[in-house]
Amino acid sequence: MSTLGLLRTLFNSKIVTPNAIQLQSLNRSPFLVGLFFNHEQVRTMSRVKRRTTHPPYWHVLKNNQRQDEKISSDNLRFVREVIQDKYKNKSPIKGSDLDIEKKEWDPKTKRSGVIARNIGVQHMWEKDGKKVVCTVLHVLDNHVIRYVPPEEYAKSIIGAKVFRNRKPLGCLVVGAEAANPDRFTRQYCSLFNEVGLLPKKRLARFIVTPNAVLPPCTPLTAGHFVVGQAVDVYGKTIDYGFQGVVKRWGFKGGPASHGATKFHRRGGTIGTGRDKARVWPGQKMPGHMGSERRFCRGLKIVRINMKYNVIYVKGTVPGPTNSIVQIFDTLLPRRKFTEAPPHPTYFPPEDGTLPQEDIWDSNMHVFGSPSISV
Amino acid sequence: MLRRAVLQTFRQGLAQSFFKRNAVSLSETTVTHQPIETSDEADEKSVSKQKPGDESGNTVVVAPPEFRFMYPEFLPDPAMERRNRLKEKLERIDMLQRRSVVEIPEFYTGSVMAVTVADANSPNKFARFVGICIQRGGSGLRAWFILRNVVDKQGVEILYEMYCPLIQKIEVLRLERRLDESLLYLRDALPEYSTFPLDMEPERRLNNSVVPINPLKVKLRPRPWLERWERQNLQGVEDLNLPQRFYDKAEKVAKPWEKYDLMLQYRKTIPAEEQEKIFADVHSQLQQQEFKRKIRRRRGTD
Repeated sequence: MSTLGLLRTLFNSKIVTPNAIQLQSLNRSPFLVGLFFNHEQVRTMSRVKRRTTHPPYWHVLKNNQRQDEKISSDNLRFVREVIQDKYKNKSPIKGSDLDIEKKEWDPKTKRSGVIARNIGVQHMWEKDGKKVVCTVLHVLDNHVIRYVPPEEYAKSIIGAKVFRNRKPLGCLVVGAEAANPDRFTRQYCSLFNEVGLLPKKRLARFIVTPNAVLPPCTPLTAGHFVVGQAVDVYGKTIDYGFQGVVKRWGFKGGPASHGATKFHRRGGTIGTGRDKARVWPGQKMPGHMGSERRFCRGLKIVRINMKYNVIYVKGTVPGPTNSIVQIFDTLLPRRKFTEAPPHPTYFPPEDGTLPQEDIWDSNMHVFGSPSISV
Repeated sequence: MLRRAVLQTFRQGLAQSFFKRNAVSLSETTVTHQPIETSDEADEKSVSKQKPGDESGNTVVVAPPEFRFMYPEFLPDPAMERRNRLKEKLERIDMLQRRSVVEIPEFYTGSVMAVTVADANSPNKFARFVGICIQRGGSGLRAWFILRNVVDKQGVEILYEMYCPLIQKIEVLRLERRLDESLLYLRDALPEYSTFPLDMEPERRLNNSVVPINPLKVKLRPRPWLERWERQNLQGVEDLNLPQRFYDKAEKVAKPWEKYDLMLQYRKTIPAEEQEKIFADVHSQLQQQEFKRKIRRRRGTD
């Protein structure tokens, strides 16, 4: 009996016809893996394209070709003034025409997320003296660009895929890092015409429930999050380029000495020769490593600095220093909110009192406080 | 006990030549204000130099150039891919906050120090260790130093993180420098060179302005050693008395062109303009903290 036949009879509870091959529901207990698995490699993702260098076809062309325009300094100044006049940032909080309806928070609410930059790693200490490696995330100047209601979003390409079998939710488009409109194309700048904001370098979509909708032009700051909550951080991992099999897959390679001829970091055998008589798709080989989008789930926020809009998160996030990440409330069920967070987002108090500048988690040792005595 | 060699005191300016490795491109470029090596300035070590004035006519306070050596952990890691001005600024704020609680004195490799740490497992909850600083490194809150001592004929080295809140007190018992930046060769030296009494008293310096350089030459044990000391151009070690083949191999393996490699030095250091900015920022706060501590000491509350 072939390996696959054995697998089918042992692991599948339903009676399967001989033609059907089920690879998804395989039991991976160590005993059985050792016995029946020649190649302990995940093959289901082998044909999916993991990264592209170009944006999706429905995106508008973003960056302008930099032209060497010989403008005099006076004219340059005039152009800048025109831009400033055109893009005076509106703030809906201070008596503008946009109205924020304060809707109720319930545990099933999905709030918006935030675009931030990973600015590095800092060591902090807990109250018992244990050292903790924290990632510093700088929340950039986020503004809500537009809201796409659930019915409309479910008709879009991505929305149709995401909400194929479930109830559709709305989509908030958030932009960060305002930049000079000169560097962008007219089509890209037109995305921001409705809101009247300076075009942003980065855009992101966040899935929200209709009760967490924010009107366009709302700023999002570090106060959107609460110290002690768990967040998921979504970013692009470090790009290692074309890497060999030892670094990419953790192969052991060959002996460094003892007569090994030209076999120190190679993969070795890539198939049996008997079973299937070919190289299986998904065989681990050298190739491009990194630059993939990944989530880091359930990271705890230990400190928020409201003055500089900076969040300190316990642990590390995907991506190199100075790369852009997206932060949102965690979807891990045990670490979700039990009490209402700033909903739909944080607004500074109306009586003009400034918030506390540096908020620390109760477990962390504050640097200005006396040394820990155990 | 070590036999004390004659301590020669050098002018602060000459000390720069011992830090050639770290600052060769900087010592030539920092000519923005008068150097402090003149004889009348020798008394005021930490005086802040005032720049002759910028465009607005106000004098700009600039930290003295020794700050680069006294507080090297305020300078960030020079690797450009990982630098971010905002994060460095926030880290400096945290460092100064911690320094306001605990006095982290000026020390160099070769200084004898005593560190008191909170320890749950020791009888009176505090553990005090005395040793010679053999290496220091790290930047920002990760700054560390290693103390070495020989206790009951057993060599002991402890790595302390300077900003760890478990540290209660850092005292410098003997402030001096050695001829090398890293004293790791003490591991292969005779134990008498690493032994310091655990109840050592802090020593008072005669001349407060200049940090003395101890020109001690250490005797190493016979081979085998932990590293190939003959390849490292050590100044503080006595003649190694090795067969010629070791020195020949060392010459073969040496990279004498590195001292002429300006880009290499540039990549290893923070530019002088940035250093000035960083230390100017930090200088005023440190001075204030020092002042407060002096007042407390005079009142006797310390």
